[in-house]
Amino acid sequence: MTLQGWVPEIGEFLTLAEVIDLAFDYRGNTTVVRVDGTEIEGYVFNRNRDAPEPFIQIFDVAGNGPIRIPCSEIRNIRFTGRDMAAGNSWQAWLERREREKAEKAGPA
Amino acid sequence: MSVPLSQMWTVAAYVLKQKLSGRKRYPLVLMLEPLFRCNLTCAGCGKIQYPAQILKKHLTLEQCLKAVDECGAPVVSIPGGEPLMYPQIGELVDALVKRRKYVYLCTNALLLKEKLEQGVLRPSRYVSLSIHMDGLREDHDEAVCRDGVYDRAVEAIKEALRRGFRVTTNTTLFDGASPLRMRAFFDEMMGLGVEGMMLSPGYSYSKAPDQEHFLRRGRTHDLFSKMLSNARKHWKFNQSPLFLQFLMGKRDYECTPWGNPTFNLFGWQRPCYLLQEGFAESFQELMESTRWERYGRKSGNEKCQDCMVHCGYEATAVDDTFSSWKGFRDTLVASITGRL
Repeated sequence: MTLQGWVPEIGEFLTLAEVIDLAFDYRGNTTVVRVDGTEIEGYVFNRNRDAPEPFIQIFDVAGNGPIRIPCSEIRNIRFTGRDMAAGNSWQAWLERREREKAEKAGPA
Repeated sequence: MSVPLSQMWTVAAYVLKQKLSGRKRYPLVLMLEPLFRCNLTCAGCGKIQYPAQILKKHLTLEQCLKAVDECGAPVVSIPGGEPLMYPQIGELVDALVKRRKYVYLCTNALLLKEKLEQGVLRPSRYVSLSIHMDGLREDHDEAVCRDGVYDRAVEAIKEALRRGFRVTTNTTLFDGASPLRMRAFFDEMMGLGVEGMMLSPGYSYSKAPDQEHFLRRGRTHDLFSKMLSNARKHWKFNQSPLFLQFLMGKRDYECTPWGNPTFNLFGWQRPCYLLQEGFAESFQELMESTRWERYGRKSGNEKCQDCMVHCGYEATAVDDTFSSWKGFRDTLVASITGRL
């Protein structure tokens, strides 16, 4: 299961803190929407809830960073980038190997 | 055991100094990851799944050396990613040798022959080329998801040995590994002339593509007992014999995640090389602000229950060697007799 493409709806059943945790765990770029409406796309590599002012840190899509954003300035985070941990390349390798094995074995 | 005497002495002196100074938590091996980029995508690896802008980045030489100086560990392991893809790998290793750090350069060896021919690396008693080898040809190529890698690694090992390098192997084991085939693999590696071998069970990275083949604790004991009981005399292991006994189920240890702190592009990784639960900006912050009581088997943390990986437990084993006469004696006996 991947969160790729997910646009969280923060409200009664989902808190911003939970979305931040999911974004931190996500191995792809996300788009952080600030309270003032501005957006920044990048990889969330750190979050610290225990700091006096909780924050996240990201590298933007150009690789600039680390950029620190206080959690109090975040409205939402959209999971816009490709999930690099979705296992597609490994799946493709498995399928290719199975195909090659079948070809070597010849017709049944 | 095959750890050279000078290295053993350095580590022993360092650990005793920590103990005499009453330091409860101390680093033993710095895991320095200069980049996440790799030229393989192994099924059990959870280290390289990042967006392109992260994979393109690497630490500067200055960042690497600052981390080494901050940490102060006598041994520096350079994994990754593939460290031979780091543009300043030669300068980094040279600078570490100047600091008299024992370096384990953990590589899949795909680029090794080329780098050796270019003179990027120089042989030194401080430097060990630690070649990733997960088993015999078929097993290794399957683990790294590419055919022909085993043969290239063997060719590179021969070349490195010919040029006078210290060469060790590092092997990660997963469920389904055959003890008999592994014993044949140990024979084959020693036959090549490597200095020693390092073994560890794999960790079930939540981001690794293959989630089905990680070893549980009981299976780890079973596999390592079958593999290492009646160890052949010519097998040399470049690691603590007490750690190997722990893997065989003969000892019970608790994790010391601070023993192998990890520094990478994101900073000092909390709490360990395997779990990624946040980053500290300095080594001191890592040591002082990480809630260590949340990790390790006793903590009840689900993510730690089946982990028996070297980066959590080998430092514990080394500490045990210097904590009691029994630990010291057991290490000495196993090192001399080769019996585990």
